[in-house]
Amino acid sequence: MALKGFTRNFKPLEILTEEEVEAIHRGTLEVLWKTGVRMEHEGALRILERNGCKVDYESSRVHFPPGLVEESLRKCPSAFHVRARDPNNDVVLGGNTTYFCPFPGMQTVDLDTWEPRVATRKEFYEGVKILDALPHVHGTWNYTPYFGFEGVPSVMAIPESMAGKIRNSTKFTTEGYSNGSEVFTIQMAQAVETEVCVPCLLSPPLTYYYDAIEAALRGIEAGFPIRISEGAVYGGTAPATIAGAIISANANLIAPIVLFQLVKPGTRIFLNDFTLPQNMRTGAPDFGAIGISLHAVAFNQMWCTYGVPRCNTATIPISKRTDFQGGYEKAISALLFALSGANLILLHGGISSELSHHPVQAILDDDLAGMIGRFIQGIEVNDETLAIDLIEEVGPIPGHFLNKAHTRKWWQLEQFVPRAADRLTYPEWMKSGKKSCLDYARERMEEILATHKPTPLTPTQEEDVERILEDARKYYKERGLITEEEMATYRESMKSLEYPYG
Amino acid sequence: MSVEVLENLRKAVVEYDGEAAASWARKAVEEKIDPISALDAMTVAIREVGDGFGKGDLWLPDLVGAADAMTSAMPIIQEEIARVGAKRESLGTIVIGTVYGDIHSIGKTMVATLLTAYGFVVNDLGINVTAENFVEGVKKYNADVLAMSSLMTTTAPEQRKVIETLKEEGLRDNVKIMIGGGAITQEFADSIGADGYGPTAAGAVKLAASLIGK
Repeated sequence: MALKGFTRNFKPLEILTEEEVEAIHRGTLEVLWKTGVRMEHEGALRILERNGCKVDYESSRVHFPPGLVEESLRKCPSAFHVRARDPNNDVVLGGNTTYFCPFPGMQTVDLDTWEPRVATRKEFYEGVKILDALPHVHGTWNYTPYFGFEGVPSVMAIPESMAGKIRNSTKFTTEGYSNGSEVFTIQMAQAVETEVCVPCLLSPPLTYYYDAIEAALRGIEAGFPIRISEGAVYGGTAPATIAGAIISANANLIAPIVLFQLVKPGTRIFLNDFTLPQNMRTGAPDFGAIGISLHAVAFNQMWCTYGVPRCNTATIPISKRTDFQGGYEKAISALLFALSGANLILLHGGISSELSHHPVQAILDDDLAGMIGRFIQGIEVNDETLAIDLIEEVGPIPGHFLNKAHTRKWWQLEQFVPRAADRLTYPEWMKSGKKSCLDYARERMEEILATHKPTPLTPTQEEDVERILEDARKYYKERGLITEEEMATYRESMKSLEYPYG
Repeated sequence: MSVEVLENLRKAVVEYDGEAAASWARKAVEEKIDPISALDAMTVAIREVGDGFGKGDLWLPDLVGAADAMTSAMPIIQEEIARVGAKRESLGTIVIGTVYGDIHSIGKTMVATLLTAYGFVVNDLGINVTAENFVEGVKKYNADVLAMSSLMTTTAPEQRKVIETLKEEGLRDNVKIMIGGGAITQEFADSIGADGYGPTAAGAVKLAASLIGK
């Protein structure tokens, strides 16, 4: 059984005409053949050359014939199953379904001063527990909720993140890689009989470093799905025009698709669109900009045409607080992503670009996910919902519908009721002590932490996870990537009686 | 004639025209114009663009466009400076780069451009620079300041490695170290023993000047 997610029951929003879709497709084929890409992985280049690509080994440049590109796109499954630790939380990525996942942040944030700070291991684990409890979080993400935590050397951030997630959540996950960390995350997933979506993080424009390809090849070998991530900042690493940025994004994504479908035809691939315009003042990605949604809607339209599952991940606001600006930045982008056919949207918990994440924000975002999810489910039209007989039965005033079984059955199916929003009447609000959604979300966080107990790992699984972590520590220590001093602090952080807080 | 050549060189940089900048630089060399004056003309141009950026009239593509135009002409002028043995007064010498494992160049380029605009001699080692190459750069250019950038948390520790390598080579006390980038905070800078941290490109100029007492 898989999590239902939200099923869109109407045509996706389209922003391009058929002719424009065709022009973008032709442009993408031209770029892949004429310009080609730079792929710094000799093994990959050999496979591509054997299958008809033009390769220059000296510059690592590879050019893709259009026929091979189109054949490779056809080999991608348009929907596929991904196993979670609890089979009830498996997902089926693709088709008309939209799932939501959390947006990670580098650090946690103080909800009074709005200043970020490094999370503790306990906060990291509690953050995952809250995501596990929220009904509209369908999986976790890389480095979720934080990029590492106090006392952990940076090279151990990914293995520790993976361990923290599988100890505290039974939902599906994906993870990043750094310095070969995918070896350990794959082992951990195998140890607890789940899957991890292994990423291929390309470097726009048109460049793939060795580790991006190698991590994905290891994922394919393990039989896991691959997430290819496009993170161009258009204006900087893609053309400033949205049409040009779409061609660039598609070419960036298709090159590894061709490789992976040659390595193992039918490989489960889902695409991560994390494309933003560049902020031409600061040079940073322009989080919160409407250009993100314009790009994403066109991107989704193209990839609905190709039939490859896709996720949009740039909902994160630039606002530094949980406030009006952050709310509209998230809501506009997430709604447009969902309407245009996103299969997965990163939403929960992110504040202040990629700087911070907070469980209270995740709780608020869970309501947003519920509202958007309800919207895309659309309107059910049948004899019962048309209610013509009921309208006849009730007739004009003094007739009403409140006392009808039809109302009792249908209103909850038709409406979404947010959990943390202020929806009181004015007198009730005064009586509540003028509570805001933030107050309700804080209360809900405490309630979840007191009551939610994620399914623990079995003792054998826990032993395996700890052993794999220890292997990773040893591996990085031997390579000089963890200093003696860092290791001492790290070991000290594990001495707590409550370690690992799972 | 020399006034006209220098004015055209300045104009080429302000108009982001690398080809014209290189062409006017060659003309300056042909006409035996003092290469330091040519360098000054380009610095004036970069400063104009930098000021426009500071005021909010110009944007990042303008700043990078001007920097690229200047870069096109620079080797021609530098070659001439070396040939005639000229010397230019500068605020100080900077070695700058993005650390090993990190390929993000925009922030680093912005800082390098503004440092150049305000009179530093900047040697940009590029991206993905190893600790060994940073140390080599510091030695080669006799740098007053080493500036390192890192956007990612996973590559930030590389900055510590560079500082440690400088210590091992006995060079740490000869150079001031400033760091920046998305992954960097003041606390991190303090923890690895950097001399300064700046969150913005504009702040980097003041920081570099203050580190060397200018």
